[in-house]
Amino acid sequence: MANSMSVVEDGKKQFIVVKIGSEQYGIDISYVDNIVRMQKITRVPKVQPYFKGIINLRGEIVPVMSIRTKMDLEPDEFTDVTRIIILKLEEHGVLGILVDEVKEVVTLAPNEIDKVAYDAKNSKSSFINGVGKHGEELISLFDTNSIIDETETV
Amino acid sequence: MDVSQYLEIFIDETNGHLQNLSDCIMSLEKDPENMDTINEIFRAAHSLKGMAGTMGFKRMQRLTHDMENVFQEVRSGNMHVTSGLVDVLFQCLDAIDAYLENIKESSEEGTDDNEAIIQELNDILAAGTGNVPEEKKSEKTEEKPEKTEEKHSKKYLDMEFSEKEKEELKDAESKGMNIYGLTVYIQEECLLKAARAFLVFKAVEDYGNIVAYNPSSQDIEDEKFGVDFSFYLVSETSLEKILEVSKAVSEIAEVIGEKVQYSELTAAAEKKEAAEAKETAENIKIEDKNGKTAVVAVQAESAPAASKNTPAAKKSSGGKPVTNRTVRVDIEKLDALMNQVSELIIAKNSLVSIGSSSDGGVVGANSQAFHEQIEYLERITTGLHESVMKVRMVPIESVVQKFPRMIRDLSKKLNKKMELYMTGEDTELDRTVVDQIGDPLQHLLRNSADHGLENAEIRKKRGKPEAGSIHLNAFQEGNNVIIEVSDDGNGIDTENVKNKAIERGLITPEQGEALSQKEIIDFLFMPSFSMAKKISDISGRGVGLDVVKSNIEALGGDVEVKSVLGEGSKFIVRLPLTLAIIQALMVEVRGEKYAISLGSIETIEEINADEVKYVQAKEVIHIRGMVIPLIRLDQLLDCEPAESERESLTVIIVRKGDKFAGLIVDELNGQQEIVIKSLGKYINNSSKIISGATVLGDGEVALILDVNTLF
Repeated sequence: MANSMSVVEDGKKQFIVVKIGSEQYGIDISYVDNIVRMQKITRVPKVQPYFKGIINLRGEIVPVMSIRTKMDLEPDEFTDVTRIIILKLEEHGVLGILVDEVKEVVTLAPNEIDKVAYDAKNSKSSFINGVGKHGEELISLFDTNSIIDETETV
Repeated sequence: MDVSQYLEIFIDETNGHLQNLSDCIMSLEKDPENMDTINEIFRAAHSLKGMAGTMGFKRMQRLTHDMENVFQEVRSGNMHVTSGLVDVLFQCLDAIDAYLENIKESSEEGTDDNEAIIQELNDILAAGTGNVPEEKKSEKTEEKPEKTEEKHSKKYLDMEFSEKEKEELKDAESKGMNIYGLTVYIQEECLLKAARAFLVFKAVEDYGNIVAYNPSSQDIEDEKFGVDFSFYLVSETSLEKILEVSKAVSEIAEVIGEKVQYSELTAAAEKKEAAEAKETAENIKIEDKNGKTAVVAVQAESAPAASKNTPAAKKSSGGKPVTNRTVRVDIEKLDALMNQVSELIIAKNSLVSIGSSSDGGVVGANSQAFHEQIEYLERITTGLHESVMKVRMVPIESVVQKFPRMIRDLSKKLNKKMELYMTGEDTELDRTVVDQIGDPLQHLLRNSADHGLENAEIRKKRGKPEAGSIHLNAFQEGNNVIIEVSDDGNGIDTENVKNKAIERGLITPEQGEALSQKEIIDFLFMPSFSMAKKISDISGRGVGLDVVKSNIEALGGDVEVKSVLGEGSKFIVRLPLTLAIIQALMVEVRGEKYAISLGSIETIEEINADEVKYVQAKEVIHIRGMVIPLIRLDQLLDCEPAESERESLTVIIVRKGDKFAGLIVDELNGQQEIVIKSLGKYINNSSKIISGATVLGDGEVALILDVNTLF
C-alpha cells in the first residue's frame, strides 16, 4: 500500500519530512510502515550503542535506533513531539528510528532533488543520498538502505 | 493418469519401504538364512516396484524389479545371501534414495539409469541360478486370479437392507429389472482404494442404479474398508457386461457377482436375524480367512509354490478395516497456530495483570467470579499450548534410524569392528529441532567411529572386546531432551590437544599448564581445530565439532564432553523441549525486567551481604556444602550502579549440567508463561546473554536471559 502511494506522478516521490536537531530530513515514504508516539523503550544490554532498545508494537518486538547517536549528534531529548518512525524493508523486517518531530509529507519531482557528492571524511553524509528543494527549504534525504546496511555490518 | 496429487503419499511410502529394506538387509547380513527377513525384503521391493510403476518412474521400477528378481531366487532357495549381495543391495537402496531425492525436488526421477548396479544384480543372479526366463514369471502371474478366485467369498450375501432399500429392490424387480449382487476385491497393495471403488461405481452406474452398499457409501468414500466392498445393482444389462466393466478398472483383483431374486434376499436376511449369534461367529471366520488369503495372494503373484509355507502373519492388515486416523498438516500451518496461541497467552497475561492490579475499577464487586474465570482461562491456554506443542512433537526415530546403516558402512570403510546401540528412539522433540539435529549427531557418531574407537590391535592389547561399541541414548530430563553419544574407545588425549593448541599458537605453554581438562577439551570445538593425524573422507578436516556446536547452539541447546583417556568419551547434547513458549521466573534488576527460564533454576536463596566470600578475588557463596560463584546481574548487564549496598541479597541458583552459579537480582516478580520473541536482525547480540524478548501482560517488554551463556 505504501508503495502505490509513493508513485504519485512520473518519477515523483513522496517523503516524510522530520526534524532531527536543527536540520530537516526526508524519509522515502515507501519504506515507512508506521509512525508511533514515543513509548517506553526497553534497554538491551551489550549491543551497539546506537540501539536504544526494543519496543512492543502491537505484540511485535521492534528494535529502535537513535539516528542522533549514529550521526554523532548530541543525545536524544524526548519531548511531546518525539516520534518513532517504523521502517519496513522486505527481507530485513522492521526497525524503528527516533526523530525529534514529524513535520509533513512532501512530494518532490526528480528535478527538485540534487544528488550529493559522497564525502568520506564526513560520516554523516553517507546516510544522505540527495538534497530536496521544497519551496525555500532544503531537505536532506535519507538513504534508508545505508542506515540499515551499516547497522548490519557493525 | 495425473498422479501428481499422489506424489506426497508416494514419497512418504517409499521412504518407509526404504527404511524397512535397510533394516531388513542389515539383519539379513547377520542372519542370512532368515526366511522371514527375506520375505519381508521381497515384499518391500515388490511394493516399491508397484508404486514406482504406477507413478511412471520407469528407472526406479526397473531397479526394484531386478532386486525383486534376486530375492525371488533367494526365497525359493536357488541361491544364498552373500556379503557381496548385501553390498550391492545397499547400493541399490542408495540409488533408489537418489531417485527419491530427485522426485522430491523436481517430481522427476532423474536420468541416472544405474546400469552398473543393475548389471551387478543380474550378474549375481546369473551366478547364483543361471538366467531366469522372463516368461515364466508372467505365466505365474496369470495363474493367480484363478487360484484366488475360489477364496473370494460372496460377501454380498451377508448384507443387510434398510426398509427403503428393500422397497427399491422390490420395485425394480416388479418392473422386470435384474438385481445383481456384487463383491469387488481390490488388490492388496492398492494405495487409493476409495478412488478405485469410485471408478467401479462410476463404471457400473452407466448400466444401472446402485441400491445398497456394504460398507456404506460414506465409509467407502473415506476408505474405511479392507480390500473388498459389496453392493447391489439394479440393471437391465447382462451380468457379464457389468462384471466386465468393473474388472476393467485397474488394481481390481476380482469381482464376483450373480443375479439374485428379491425373495431370496429377504429370506436370507430373516434367516440371519434368526441365527445372529452363529452368523457373527462365522463372519469373523470369513474375515480371518480373507485376511490370510489376501496376503497369500500377494505372494502368490510371483512364487505361488514357495508361499504356501511362509507365515502370513506379519502383513495381515488385509482383513481388518483400514481406518485412516492421521492428518497430514503443513508445518507452516502449525507455526501459524502456534503464533496464535502465543498471542492468546499474551492476551491472557494482560487480563491476569488487570485482575491483580489492586483496585481494578471495572472488576469491583465481581472480583471473585472474575478471578475464577481468569484461572479457568489460564488452564485452557496452558492446555492449548501443550496440545499444540504435542502436535509439533515427533520422535527422533526418523532421524536416528539411518544411523545403524551409516555405522555399518563406516565399519567396512575403516576396517574396524563396531556396533551401534541405540535407546530412546521414541523420545520426542519439536519438529524443527528434529529436522536439524540429524547432521550434528551424524558428525558425533562419525567422530566416535573414526577417532574414538581404536583399531583391533590396540583394543586387544587394552583388553577390550574386539568390536567397539557406540551408544546413542536419548531421554527427557525436565524441560530438556538429552542425547548422549558415547564410545568405549580411546577417549580424548588432553595432553595431545594441549600440545596442538600450543603448537598452533593459541596458548603459551605456561597458560597450558593452568588449563583444566574441560578448558582443553573446549579447544576441540574451535573452528578448524582438527586432531586427526591424517585427513580421511570421514572426518578430520576440522569442520566437525565447531559446526556441531554452533548447530546445536542455534537450536538453543549445548554440548558437553566427558572423556577418560583409554576408556572412552561421551558427548552430551542438551536440547530444549519447546522453542516458543516457556515457563519463566520474572526478576527485576535496577528496575529493568528480565525473564529466566524455570528449567535452569535450581533454588532461590535469601542471603546476608556478609555471607559473600571471596575465592581468587571472585565472589562466591558457601551454601549446603557447595561453593557457588556469584554473578551480579546489574554489573553483568551494565546497569546504573546501585546507590547503596543492600543488607540482604536475593540469589537465584541456576544450573547447567553439574555446574552452578548464583545470580544476584533486586526483586522477584513471580512465575509466568512467556512467549519468546526474537530481537530481530538489526541488533548485534554477539554476547548472546539475551536470548530474546517477551511482551508482558501490561504491554511492557522484558528481556530473556540465557543463563547457559554465563558458565
